[in-house]
Amino acid sequence: MIVCENLRKSYPAGSGRKEVLKGVNLTVQKGERVALLGRNGAGKSTLIKQIGGVELPDSGRVIRKMTNSWPIGFNGGFQGSLTGYDNARFIARIYGRTYSEMRDFVEDFTELGTSLKMPVKTYSSGMRARLAFALSLAIEFDCYLIDEVILVGDQNFQRKCHAELFEKRADRAMIIASHDMQTVSAVCDRAVVLHDGRATIYNNVDDAVAVYESL
Amino acid sequence: MASLREGWNIQVRVIGALMLRELTTRFGRENIGFLWIMVEPILFALLVGLVWRFQKGPLEFGVDIIAFTVSGYIPLVLFRSIVTRSIMSFTANGSFMYHRQIKVLDILLVRFLIELIGHMMAYVVIGLALGAFGMFPQPYDVGFIILGALYYAAFCFSVALVVAPLSEMSEVLEKVTPVTLYIMIPFSGTFFLVSSLSRSAANVVLYSPPVHGMEMMRYGLFGPSIDPQFDYLYPLKFILPVTALGLLLCRIVRRRLVVE
Repeated sequence: MIVCENLRKSYPAGSGRKEVLKGVNLTVQKGERVALLGRNGAGKSTLIKQIGGVELPDSGRVIRKMTNSWPIGFNGGFQGSLTGYDNARFIARIYGRTYSEMRDFVEDFTELGTSLKMPVKTYSSGMRARLAFALSLAIEFDCYLIDEVILVGDQNFQRKCHAELFEKRADRAMIIASHDMQTVSAVCDRAVVLHDGRATIYNNVDDAVAVYESL
Repeated sequence: MASLREGWNIQVRVIGALMLRELTTRFGRENIGFLWIMVEPILFALLVGLVWRFQKGPLEFGVDIIAFTVSGYIPLVLFRSIVTRSIMSFTANGSFMYHRQIKVLDILLVRFLIELIGHMMAYVVIGLALGAFGMFPQPYDVGFIILGALYYAAFCFSVALVVAPLSEMSEVLEKVTPVTLYIMIPFSGTFFLVSSLSRSAANVVLYSPPVHGMEMMRYGLFGPSIDPQFDYLYPLKFILPVTALGLLLCRIVRRRLVVE
């Protein structure tokens, strides 16, 4: 279970501060897939960063009773100046996994071939998404935090993602920020709409999609 | 107990991984790789030593002038590198915050350890090389060199612990640090023995914590002839409160850190 209790987060904006989250409450149970909906800048990434512990909230707290991945996105979680292989090596080291297994999984899942020997900063966003997913799927978590990157890239990669996330790991919890309403309705159990710094929780995803589309 | 051991294992794993990553990004894998870390301090100490040798003659305070310069310059370069590399290091390594087992202190600790190990290696290599030509003494007491180095390094780390979070809070610090480090030189004990100063000047420089570490190291290297002046307790009275302040500041800055 992951519980967010009254999360508040603001960022410096000019001489003042902009409050992005104004007291967000959310509980995610084991195995539950929650969609995070909201317009650009509504605070989806911010909320995911607080849940993942990347940033710390101004007030409120996150209680984690299951392991969670780092936020999987186009940035973060890897180092642009290092190659794909070096990133895999680094992740394997800090999570205490054997590198050879990690490398095999990353090669197989990303199909990036010799590009894995190039610095990640030279990758296209599709390639980054492949690497980001591969690195986090190679470590098993109870809850995956997915920031926008879901179902990007080509057909083949989308199929792979689908199989790895929703079939092989059907028992895991996920928090998915996305603008792709079709996917969200198909895979999520519940949805949260972020608007004006507040979160509204819907037990029916289609209701949430309707609200999101009217924003 | 089990969770304590688990925590320790994670800590060791993280520090190891971060050190290898830092070495790869800074020095690459080509040619001599991370041995480059020794090149700067060695060149610095050796070239300045040679200049002095030709300006002032073979002896300084009764010991070989090149050995004296090396014994002072390597710690000074260490201090400068540790402080400079701590500036804005949290922002530069923000992407590490994606992994909750990595703490901001690990970033500082890793940069500190790399500089420390590199400069210690430089000290040993240069000592052995000069020693082969009879220009470096056989250490009088290696234990005192190590003890002095520990005092000196602890001082450097405590300063880095304060400078790193302050540099994240205000850009002013980044601009004034080079000047401050330059002004620090007379108070680092690099260019003199405390026993060679007048009573009043000695009293002033002994307020500077690194001077004590420097005197210990030089006592360990040259022996009692240099009449070392140091205190075991005084440097700690500076280092411990500054470390505590640094830890507090790091905690505050971590809460505010914005990660891309």
